[in-house]
Amino acid sequence: MRPVLFPTTLAALFDIVEHQPDARLMAGGTDLLVRLRQGPADRRPLICLERMARLNGITTENNTVIIGAATPLSAIIADPLVQRHCPLLARAAATVGGPAIRNMATLGGNICTASPAGDTLPPLYLLDARLDLAAAHATRQVPIAAFITGPGRTDLRSGELLTAIRIPMAERFGLQHFEKVGRRNALAIAVASLAALIRLTPGGRVAEARLAWGSVGPCVVRCSEAEARLTGRRLTSETLRAAGAAARAAVTPIDDIRATTAYRRDLVANLPLRLGAAT
Amino acid sequence: MDPLQIGQSRPRGDAAAKVAGREPYAADAYPDNRLWARAVRPGVPSGRIVGLACDAALAVPGVVKVLRAGDVPGSNRQGIVHKDMPVLADDRVRCCADAVALVLAESPAAAAAGAAAVAVEIEPLPGVYDLDAALAEAAHLVHADRPGNLLARATIRKGDGADPLARCDVVVEGTFTTPVQAHAFLETESGVARLQPDGTLWMQVSTQSPFRDRFEIGHALSIPYDRIHIEAPCLGGGFGGKDGATVQCLLGLAALHADGRPVKMVWDREESFVAGYKRHACRLHYRLGARRDGTLQALHARIWYDTGAYAHLGAEVMELGMEHAAGPYRIPHALIEGWCVHTHNPTAGAMRAFGVCQVSFAFESMMDLLAQRLGMDPLALRTANALVRGDTNCAGIHLETSTGIKACLAQVARHPLWREREIWRRQAPPFKRRGVGLAAVFNAAGYGGGVRDAAIAKIEMDPTGHFIVHNAVSDMGQGNSSAFMQMAGHLLGQTADRLRIRQPDTRTAYPSGSSSAGRTTYTFGRALTFACETLKSRLLNRAGLMLFLQDDDDLVLEPDRVRHIPTDRSVTLAQLGAMMSAEERVCLGQFVAPTCKPVPDTATGFFIGFPHVIFSYSAHLARVEIDTLSGVVQVTNYLAVTDGGHVINPAMFHQQIQGGVAQGIGYALYEDFITHHGRVRTEDFTTYIIPGALDLPEIVSVACVEETEATGPFGMKGIGEVAMNGPLPAIANGVADAGMGRICRAPLTPERVLDNGVRAPATAQLQK
Ligand SMILES: Cc1cc2nc3c(=O)[nH]c(=O)nc-3n(C[C@H](O)[C@H](O)[C@H](O)COP(=O)(O)OP(=O)(O)OC[C@H]3O[C@@H](n4cnc5c(N)ncnc54)[C@H](O)[C@@H]3O)c2cc1C
Repeated sequence: MRPVLFPTTLAALFDIVEHQPDARLMAGGTDLLVRLRQGPADRRPLICLERMARLNGITTENNTVIIGAATPLSAIIADPLVQRHCPLLARAAATVGGPAIRNMATLGGNICTASPAGDTLPPLYLLDARLDLAAAHATRQVPIAAFITGPGRTDLRSGELLTAIRIPMAERFGLQHFEKVGRRNALAIAVASLAALIRLTPGGRVAEARLAWGSVGPCVVRCSEAEARLTGRRLTSETLRAAGAAARAAVTPIDDIRATTAYRRDLVANLPLRLGAAT
Repeated sequence: MDPLQIGQSRPRGDAAAKVAGREPYAADAYPDNRLWARAVRPGVPSGRIVGLACDAALAVPGVVKVLRAGDVPGSNRQGIVHKDMPVLADDRVRCCADAVALVLAESPAAAAAGAAAVAVEIEPLPGVYDLDAALAEAAHLVHADRPGNLLARATIRKGDGADPLARCDVVVEGTFTTPVQAHAFLETESGVARLQPDGTLWMQVSTQSPFRDRFEIGHALSIPYDRIHIEAPCLGGGFGGKDGATVQCLLGLAALHADGRPVKMVWDREESFVAGYKRHACRLHYRLGARRDGTLQALHARIWYDTGAYAHLGAEVMELGMEHAAGPYRIPHALIEGWCVHTHNPTAGAMRAFGVCQVSFAFESMMDLLAQRLGMDPLALRTANALVRGDTNCAGIHLETSTGIKACLAQVARHPLWREREIWRRQAPPFKRRGVGLAAVFNAAGYGGGVRDAAIAKIEMDPTGHFIVHNAVSDMGQGNSSAFMQMAGHLLGQTADRLRIRQPDTRTAYPSGSSSAGRTTYTFGRALTFACETLKSRLLNRAGLMLFLQDDDDLVLEPDRVRHIPTDRSVTLAQLGAMMSAEERVCLGQFVAPTCKPVPDTATGFFIGFPHVIFSYSAHLARVEIDTLSGVVQVTNYLAVTDGGHVINPAMFHQQIQGGVAQGIGYALYEDFITHHGRVRTEDFTTYIIPGALDLPEIVSVACVEETEATGPFGMKGIGEVAMNGPLPAIANGVADAGMGRICRAPLTPERVLDNGVRAPATAQLQK
């Protein structure tokens, strides 16, 4: 049996970390417990984050939405602040797993897992999310794109904890779009996904476009060239096709049991076309 | 509360217990003082065992014993027809599932650690992992005594065979492939066993075939069958995957070496995926010829089944597929050739629609290709060629039983989902295309020629005047035991609360075959009607005795009593129960399913199971919407019209159809059990994708009851399998109808749909 600990304060948590440096952090456990089932039958303790009030909940401060790292996705999806200021994140979070998974899975867990198929990641990239990281005697803030360093790899240091995700309330983007293609409609790992934030001029031209693709490279692919193909233009199928073509060249998808590289590239190129129908 | 009645939608007898979690499954049995058994499966698909060291495993705390082939007392071979599968491999391993040792331990963790510690040395041997490699000249043989790697090679030839194709106005041709499908039941293979003090091997196991298991275990372990006692509680799903030994022989072996302690074995999902039987992957090549007016003339079908390493029911699966290879149509000339091919892939065996859903994909795709070639309406083409009673089907069987496909098609023709299809199609939103596809399918019921298909039912009234149906054919969730309660309640005039069911027990029930082949409710149900009628007349008779009546006239059996109508005097069932002796309170009934006589001489190479005489029929319609950006196919509406004769319980009938359609949609769009060089790549539900609630449309089920089946209880026939056959062809036809091209390779993954609709040419071409 492995010890399972439930600290309620950061001080208590760091105390455990200091004395049991091999302990694992567990938020919802929806990634960790699956891994442990396959993995070593060790006795490393689990530190559960679910009773850490500071890590749970959503607030705003200085034009920033602050989401506690251990907030379950279902709470994020239902939250009025999130719906108002970052609906893109709510939309992506709603595609994670199924209802039971979303009740357990946390945003912090999705980030720290750093899966190329992590569904909340493309929106977090586009929303310029910054992460609050805390260790026993230090805190720091890192942009999400700098935190995730590869598939399953992050800049999380030993003894460090992700405490909150900060999302600036950006100017409103009239068009917020998230689409995930998986092998079924729920409980599906993304074969590819597209997140888009688009602001149009009153004349219907693109003032600003942010596009990010998930599951088609080691990390989220934000393609500035594709964005440039849209800027200043209308969202016609030609311009969207051009943006898709630029993205197709920028991504480096893998071949696996779910889909081939070629199909993933097709999706990358095709998915922006849907933006034309959305306006 | 009213007495149970045939034809009413009554809640299933097991509903309350299952919802409350009270129904005991084999996987729930935790006898005291138990040991745990775990198989050691090296995972090498082809090789020779050169070393097996168990010392390290025996040193693991909690490990009690490690058994190997030398510890198996009998033939060490299991199998239903062909006994070719070792309980523990002694020399060769032929697939990644082969077990070489069995660990007995005090806990699951110790068993797992022990299994990991067994040191197996295997010298790899060459292997064949697909049909082409297995059939190549001088191919490596999976079994030295099966030349050409053929488990079976069979032919059906009707009329002039394939020759008339040369004279047909039109001929269409296509090559199709179908995937391996896993049963994916909730309850994995599991059971408990114990060697009783009197030497009996007792077992409680998740099985579809409790009576036959005794012979399989007995042969493998050298135990007389009458010393084996099997109990089969409700199964958490079977679908064919628990027809034949799974854990049984391993558990029996463990019990023989457990010093009288009970032994439990439960496969985890990963083990179930590796070691459980699967649906056969198939390749099918079809040529279908017709007259210009659409009248079918001739068919040449060549069908290859990849049966994996061991026989299981591979030959029988292929034979049933061949018997259905031409669809529910009248075709005067047919040549149907089948090859059942061994590879070092996991063993394929029985699964719902046993070999038939593969051929259904081919023949129903061919019908649409033909309709397209002739410019005919696909429904009209099917209707014009549909079998009717009195016709001879493609296997040469003269149809003398109910044959309702034409009536099913007529109901589809009248349904709004068909009639309003053009409007619906035109309303496709941006980036979507819509199509409507049809499939006309059938499925035989019963074991078929050469195999005794019979049941012996037992009904008992207990001393308090309550009734017990002694079910002898496992209930794997399909609801047969509820149907039996409904039949007994109807015949005995009793309410649901006066009836109980006992699940199969080889000591107290009687041999009645397996729960399979659309025969379960049909065969046992018919036997049960005889038993109930005997018991009823006996109860009236004994009541007459107690009431001092001159004869049994004007006595009626009512809930809880027998009443004499003219005098309104009655005897309660409790009084009767107290008066009657134990042997008087039990009645048996027996039934042997009809057979085909004389057997037509159309088939060669068939071992057993040919031909069949009773078929259920179904016409399916799928509306599909395809996303042109991703290739994702969504089934938006589904209609299944089914001829299953008279309906015993409409709610349960529709549940069976909906479940079959759901499983068929999985087969059509998602499920693909992938192996590479004989090793499983879809190891669990992360990569083996089954549909969920959001992937399934509302499935409209309509019972088409133009004819009842005279041989069946209350005019019914089995419908457990037929629904599985429709979705794949109906969806493939819908995708083609949507202008996304014809896809001949299942499942229809988004990738295949996108490739096919946008880039690649269709694989099936038209000739002439
Ligand atoms: C059936 C199923 C379906 C799924 N479907 C999807 C899906 O559709 N899309 C998707 O993106 N994911 C999916 N997942 C994966 C998983 O649910 C998500 O990644 C989820 O967000 C993980 O959150 P968690 O709280 O459960 O993480 P946990 O499992 O608790 O933790 C994951 C990792 O992050 C670390 N960690 C967690 N919180 C912190 C923290 N605050 N600070 C530092 N380290 C931390 C843990 O130590 C662990 O290494 C699915 C999982 C399952 C089992």
